[in-house]
Amino acid sequence: MTDANPLLRWDYVVDQRAAIVRAVLEHLQLTVLTVAIGLAVASVLAALALRTIRLRPVVSATTAALYTIPSVALFALLVPATGLSRATALIPLVAYTLVVLVSAILDGFDQVPLDVEEAAEAIGLSVRRRVIGVRIPLALPVIINGLRVASVTTVGLVTLAAIVGQGGLGRLILDGLRRAFWTPLTVGALLSIVLALLLDAAFVLLERRLAPWSVRERTVAVGRRTVD
Amino acid sequence: MGRGAASVLAQAALPRDITLWEWWGDAGSWTGPTGILPSLLDTLTLSGTVMAIAVLLSVPSAAVLAHLGRARLLSAWLVNVGRAVPTFALAALLVPLSLRAGYGFEPWPILIALTLMAMPPIYLGTYTAVSGVDRATVDAARAVGLTPREVLLGVELPLALNVILTGVRVAAVQVVATEPIRAFLGGDGLGRYVRDGLGQRNTTLIVGGAMLVAALAGSVAVLLTGLQRLIEPAGVRRLRATADSATVVRGHGSRGRGARILRRTA
Repeated sequence: MTDANPLLRWDYVVDQRAAIVRAVLEHLQLTVLTVAIGLAVASVLAALALRTIRLRPVVSATTAALYTIPSVALFALLVPATGLSRATALIPLVAYTLVVLVSAILDGFDQVPLDVEEAAEAIGLSVRRRVIGVRIPLALPVIINGLRVASVTTVGLVTLAAIVGQGGLGRLILDGLRRAFWTPLTVGALLSIVLALLLDAAFVLLERRLAPWSVRERTVAVGRRTVD
Repeated sequence: MGRGAASVLAQAALPRDITLWEWWGDAGSWTGPTGILPSLLDTLTLSGTVMAIAVLLSVPSAAVLAHLGRARLLSAWLVNVGRAVPTFALAALLVPLSLRAGYGFEPWPILIALTLMAMPPIYLGTYTAVSGVDRATVDAARAVGLTPREVLLGVELPLALNVILTGVRVAAVQVVATEPIRAFLGGDGLGRYVRDGLGQRNTTLIVGGAMLVAALAGSVAVLLTGLQRLIEPAGVRRLRATADSATVVRGHGSRGRGARILRRTA
């Protein structure tokens, strides 16, 4: 006796491989787009906070408040304004990366040793070269760790963007649930979990490559997603 | 809560042209099987259960391991992996398993996924807080003859309490904010109105439902922050207040160059 609806039917996977690959690519695309826009916005916000110290608590509080809005609610609230479009998925996804990325950039700049900054100033480097040549490279490990947390969180939230008709692998999950046919659900859920874990590992390697001196510190300062 | 795969979920049905005030103004909207109050209660019950399980699993294990100074790397690794796994995908993956085992759509898939989501911040908060307690304080406690158990329960935990509670609060807000996904996984709870609104293309249900979900998460965040202030042991609070005012008197804010010099020399 064969089970008509097992957790995974290989013939269906083989049959639908083109659609599955498309879903993975769509998922990755949305993730990369989100983190790229998020990094751009976060850089501007962090620059504002670093330049004008009084803005710092405002920026921190605003991004933290955005993060507290439940994802289901934020996706849904945009539906009347932007319909079931890509913007409806992107706006909340970007909003959620900000708290992690802004605080990563600020923490990164904060932990640059004062002696190094003073030395850079003393040898006559311009402000621009002090930022680009000294502070950013030294802040890099913390920033990369922020990018890691933001990307991994985004992969998970993109799955949920399926409720507003976006988000590659999440659509397979909802499709499977709607038809009570488990193969697309299992494929979509497993692949998004695998994608998140792979991305997490990829960032660890990237950090080792770009900032080998930080490896020891990284294992101690476990990635911060929480809001302080 | 458990129901078979065949049964259809009760949907909240409203006329398409109803306004938000007509929906919320009608007493009938708040009661009955698809009413707001029962849905709210449902969400709170599940979230409370998740938090109770997550705290019981995370706090004692993290506190003991941190007290012994063990499993630091393993903890960091587990916390990172636990955070990386997407909650919605994990819950979805568990749905067919639960159905095939005869447990229905709820509560197991969402309960397990939310618990695994809540544990990392609680565990991490407890571990870092207990291992961050001042060495000199712990040594002094040992020197006056406290047993290891007394050191943990009487010295380390009270001093770590505030950070532990922060972890619990962050996790709780996250749980309440994420719980509505269960409406999309064959369950109910406060997320049902967003789901039904999307299904019926009813903007009032979508927006009103989203506002209910957001209001709950916001209230829980505010409430728990207040509660945390009340719970902190009086002695520890005095200690912290003294430290804070000392910083202020010396003319250093918590941030900026002065504070950084202070932190560096500390």
